[in-house]
Amino acid sequence: MANQSEKNIGALLGGAIAVFMIGIIGTCVLPFFDSSINTPTATAKLKNYLPNSAEARGRVVYIKEGCYWCHSQSVRPVKADSKLGPVSVPGDYYYDKIPLIMTQRTGPDLTWVGSRYSPEWQYEHLNNPQKFYNGSIMPKYNYLSEQDKKDLVAYLMSLKPAPAAKAGAAGR
Amino acid sequence: METHWTLTLELKGDFRMSTATIRPYTTSKLFMYTSIVWLLIGMVVALLVAVKSVNPDFLAINRWWQEYFTYGRLRPIHTNTVLFGWLTPAFFAMWFYIVPVLTKAPLYSERLGVFTVWAWNVVYAIGMVMLFLGRQVPVEYSEMPLVIDIPIILITGLMVYNLARTIMNRKERILYVTLWYFLGTMVWLPMIYIVGNIPGAYLSGIGQASIAYTWVHNIIGMWFTPAGVGTIYFLMPKLSGKPIYSHKLSLIGFWTIGAFYIWNGPHHLVNGPIPLWLMKAGIIPSVLLIIPVWTVLANVIGTMKGAWHKISENIELKFMMTGTLFYFLACIQGPFQALMGPNAILHFTYWTVGHAHLPLFAGFSLVAFAGYYYALPRIIGRQIYSRSLMNWHYWFSVVGFLIFGFAMWLAGILQGFGWMDGNQVGAAFVKVLESLHMYLIARAIGGTFMFLGQIAFAWNIYKTATAGKQAEAEEPMPVLQ
Repeated sequence: MANQSEKNIGALLGGAIAVFMIGIIGTCVLPFFDSSINTPTATAKLKNYLPNSAEARGRVVYIKEGCYWCHSQSVRPVKADSKLGPVSVPGDYYYDKIPLIMTQRTGPDLTWVGSRYSPEWQYEHLNNPQKFYNGSIMPKYNYLSEQDKKDLVAYLMSLKPAPAAKAGAAGR
Repeated sequence: METHWTLTLELKGDFRMSTATIRPYTTSKLFMYTSIVWLLIGMVVALLVAVKSVNPDFLAINRWWQEYFTYGRLRPIHTNTVLFGWLTPAFFAMWFYIVPVLTKAPLYSERLGVFTVWAWNVVYAIGMVMLFLGRQVPVEYSEMPLVIDIPIILITGLMVYNLARTIMNRKERILYVTLWYFLGTMVWLPMIYIVGNIPGAYLSGIGQASIAYTWVHNIIGMWFTPAGVGTIYFLMPKLSGKPIYSHKLSLIGFWTIGAFYIWNGPHHLVNGPIPLWLMKAGIIPSVLLIIPVWTVLANVIGTMKGAWHKISENIELKFMMTGTLFYFLACIQGPFQALMGPNAILHFTYWTVGHAHLPLFAGFSLVAFAGYYYALPRIIGRQIYSRSLMNWHYWFSVVGFLIFGFAMWLAGILQGFGWMDGNQVGAAFVKVLESLHMYLIARAIGGTFMFLGQIAFAWNIYKTATAGKQAEAEEPMPVLQ
């Protein structure tokens, strides 16, 4: 049943590291060399926030409160995303230090939420989502400081397609 | 035929002469005890999350509760606690029990082992506090910040060193297949931790997202899966009394898990903003995973031939076989979801929540429970306190999971088709969500059952440790003739 190779730890470990590294090179290294990924789009440039701008601070609040657990940021070329606006392309995320695509849509996708509502609406909705949608299960964010709320609204308002990108992706 | 009970006694003698008072297998035992505490904490948080999904104002007592117990902070606390407080240490306990048994050599340093147990638990506790404070990294299962990741990698390195020295001192030259799987995890776990947590902190763009999803998938694929399958291959011959059906098949399974799983990350971005070649690089290996799963299934069926009746009397075996069955179902569901068509409907829905719990709770946690019930009596020399509590643990866990899982899968399908009808934003979106209300309640009920099962488990283990009857002799090890 057993043969020499099954006593050889070196071969086992070498093989284990090899299969691992091949997969890592394929899925974690090669993507950085793809031109669609490493070329920023006009939309990406809109999301390249200046350090300590309201949008950049708002993104930090968005992450800190875990908004991304319920809201995705990726519009796909599929029927279930047909009313969400232009399809996301790899270059849109060029400047996102960790893209906030995530895995769940307990709430709606926020890729282009900045083009759907006014800042006033966003502010009020953060304070009390149930005021707008009775059955909403979004928590109230009225506990945030005024500064945090304003920054968060600024971030949400910045999530919109660049004018050129809008025209380009319209033919979907 | 060597029995490991006599082996344990021999080791005890060795240790009395050489070092001090730490008994053999203390590391494994302590990982079992501490992990059960985290399991209960993780499931309390899970229930809070489930109830908050039904009633968003639950626990919103004042600003303090609103902030620290907001859904977006509790959710990563739940996943991290069950993954890195419970299930990872559960398989560390299996590492530190099974490796000395199969190598017939004492653990290189029980003292170092005990240090790593407490270091791991302290570091995780600090990580959990940081998550409460909102210090989260937006990568699933990797939310704890770099100051936690680095000590975790170092502690894992110490554990691997300890076990590697044990394997080098082995008295049994042939590496039984479980040791293959465990040796694989000893390189893969530190490597995937480094890949998933270190570069991601410095990079940006979709390349980084691909790294993040390689991590998300492979903390399951390159750690929980080979650790769980290795544990199955250890327990199955012992619990069924039959030698493993095919050694070759188990080795084919080992190499195909290693070769295909690692590519699976991009399938989380199917239909998403990645180039087509990257989607294919994720989808094709996902489908090929049918091969290692089939090797496990064929081996289980082959080994169990003529021993199926034992499931009715052996509760450990019942846990293990049910875990194996759910692992199999997870690996049928996974490749299906990775295909572009089903993914377009199911991705981003509640379906994913059900799928994530299928391998991790119903699959590998059940295998770990079997491992605990098998190993702990042999470590502490006491019988499990109550067979009836074991059965309660089993039925609450399984029935609770089935309610939970089917609630999530049905909700996910309805949600997916609801979005396809155009209900994607605003009031229309909320309307779809409202229609899922009863499924979210069902999830909380299923989850409560799962939690009750774990209370039975924790109580049983506590009573076993404090008041269990002294154990009888050990059965033979049919795998190592």
